[in-house]
Amino acid sequence: MKKSFKRFLIPALCMAIVAAFALAGCGGSQPASSSAADNGSADAVELNVFAANSLQKALPEVQALYTEQTGVTFADTQFEASGTLVTKLQEGATCDVLITASKKTMDNAAENIDEATRVDMFTNDLVVCVKEGADIKVASIEDLATNDAIESIAIGDPNVVPAGKYAVQCFESAGLVTYDEADDGTIENVKWDPSIEGKINAGADKVGTVASYVSEGTCTVGLVYTSDIFRYDGIEVAYTTPADSHKTILYPGAVVKDSANAEAAADFIKFCLENADAQKIFSEYGFELVG
Amino acid sequence: MSQALKRYIIVCGITVAVFLILAALLASAMGDGEDSAGIEGVQVSSDASAVLSEGTDYGFDSFARANRGTAKLYSGDYYGYRYPLVSRDAVSVVVTDTTAIVFIPESVSSALGIDIQDKAFQSAFEEMLVAIDSASANGGQALKKVEPAYLFTGESEVTLDGFTFRYGQEVEESVYYTTVFNEGLSVPTKSDPGDDAAAAKKAALYAESFKLLPADQVNITGKAVGLDALAHFFSTLDWRPLWVSIKATAIAMIFIFILGLLAAWATIRMSNRWKGIVDTILTIPMVLPPTVCGFLLMLLFGPSTGFGRWLIAHGVDLVFTFPAVVISCFVVAFPLMYRTARGAFESIDTNMLDAARTLGWKESRIFRTLMMPLTWPSIAAGTVLAFARSMGEFGATLFFAGNYAGVTQTIPIAIYFDWMAGDKDAAIFWVGVVILISFLVILFVNTYSARTQKWKKPAAGPAGRADKSYGSESR
Repeated sequence: MKKSFKRFLIPALCMAIVAAFALAGCGGSQPASSSAADNGSADAVELNVFAANSLQKALPEVQALYTEQTGVTFADTQFEASGTLVTKLQEGATCDVLITASKKTMDNAAENIDEATRVDMFTNDLVVCVKEGADIKVASIEDLATNDAIESIAIGDPNVVPAGKYAVQCFESAGLVTYDEADDGTIENVKWDPSIEGKINAGADKVGTVASYVSEGTCTVGLVYTSDIFRYDGIEVAYTTPADSHKTILYPGAVVKDSANAEAAADFIKFCLENADAQKIFSEYGFELVG
Repeated sequence: MSQALKRYIIVCGITVAVFLILAALLASAMGDGEDSAGIEGVQVSSDASAVLSEGTDYGFDSFARANRGTAKLYSGDYYGYRYPLVSRDAVSVVVTDTTAIVFIPESVSSALGIDIQDKAFQSAFEEMLVAIDSASANGGQALKKVEPAYLFTGESEVTLDGFTFRYGQEVEESVYYTTVFNEGLSVPTKSDPGDDAAAAKKAALYAESFKLLPADQVNITGKAVGLDALAHFFSTLDWRPLWVSIKATAIAMIFIFILGLLAAWATIRMSNRWKGIVDTILTIPMVLPPTVCGFLLMLLFGPSTGFGRWLIAHGVDLVFTFPAVVISCFVVAFPLMYRTARGAFESIDTNMLDAARTLGWKESRIFRTLMMPLTWPSIAAGTVLAFARSMGEFGATLFFAGNYAGVTQTIPIAIYFDWMAGDKDAAIFWVGVVILISFLVILFVNTYSARTQKWKKPAAGPAGRADKSYGSESR
């Protein structure tokens, strides 16, 4: 019995080994590997970028421009909520450039980035968006609570999505919510005013999800950035929140510590900030350069 | 054999044909149906970069909207809040709450022989401008909504509501802007933000610029419709999720099939003491939520735990790689194959196996020629279940392998992220693809099973008599 078991095992193991080779062959293009030659020739450099979700349409165009001009290619850029990106970075994901949507999230990533390369890149505005064509008038944040036509308000999860945090700050300045903020920026003990509590949907994992909800009609209104209005079909601005109702919206960018392509990464950030064509793209998508 | 194969091919062909017909219907319904503000005789290109009108001998080209400008200092100096121009002598339109200031440089108006103060010219121009402005608005402000008064000027400087608008400012070398500033407010410097930038930003809602060219130099690419739209959709679609899914599922299925059968065979021969524990360990991934599985895999292989760090130090860095996708698919689908196979093996009449042993058959021969054929329907069912589970795996893959297009982005992940990014057409397409693939695979396995179960039918039964195969009614 033992012998026959071994006889069966051998062909099975052979097939497993063949499959393992197939696996290895397919695993060639890993995001973790940058194919930079030792002398760092520009043609072989592939950058890994982690960028705030709101840049999802604007940044790839700038990256395409950059590839055209310098030959530096980009591995699939991860456009997620800034909190998610910082968590991934801390879990050991490979990355060369980090661009977040708030100062606090970049501060949380302080151990993983090269502080000397940190620069504030863009600013944005927080707006209340509605489905295109919906006849909803919003003249102030308080209107969101009092207007009965608004049945649900979508915001990002304030502990992961900077847009969600700015939204909560906005509601606080209108007296509709109270909360405590821990040292690392975590929002706790959130208490919504009864007039708005039933309407708030604060579960979105990134600001793009909020925009999706509104454009599909799942939620009546949502708090997103101005730039999200331009990158999503089917939503429009109902109200632009005053700049003093929340912390200044800043997008810091930095090169990640121990990046294999630190120089190329720094060059790319510089390109975003200084190249005229890049500026036209950002300006079209609603990002204001400050860096 | 050729009968069943022929049948299978025909059914496949019909399915694919149905799919293509649905796709064609989708194509005809595709597109936003947005038109150029419904103005007669005005034609806007599909990417909102050019516009032509029947009534004019000029057109707009290289149209670009600047929804935001910048107040960045250049070489330490402030140049106002500035909106980029597409070229040196582009026409610039700055839209405020009340007015749309249209800067048309002298060089352009004289080259085209236009009198910019002529009412006829202005109304034709406004028509075209409103059309292309609506097409490029994308949910932002539009001239149609704002309905400003138009101010046509060939001057390079206009003062309005306390703000000075300057056209054609060269800030960086060969880069031109329309700038806005207020004489009376403090200017930003490196150390002090000043008041002017914030105020100037609010002075205008947005700006746009374009080249004014003779009509024959302007190219309008119309919106693709019907089959063209479909062709365009397929050519711009990112096909990589399909390859990643197929490769990962195929590789995982090889491991699942072999190891599932092996594990089932080994488990039924174990003593009762070990059987329970081994069975539980092998079945747990099926019961755990996929995100928990993914999380555990990440802990196991990632840098959070000592074991993971040891693996990484020895070159096994799997998080966010393609092998991680295969492992996730394997882990969640293996228990399905294992349980089904085990149930099937346990239901075999042991007398048959013992009889074979008395004939001197080796265990491998018993397995190959007796156990497998007897249990083939169940094993096929287990394979189909495992395949479906593997193909549809989302939570564990997302956690462990991430969302890297072309490397770890499988179809379910692509569906989710495409939908959330607003690319609904692609998401719906992938849903259709998954349905089609799953349908074809299940059909294939069922057809193949039916073929191998032919021996269960009576040799020569009268036509119309029910056969005695398992699960069908007896006469």
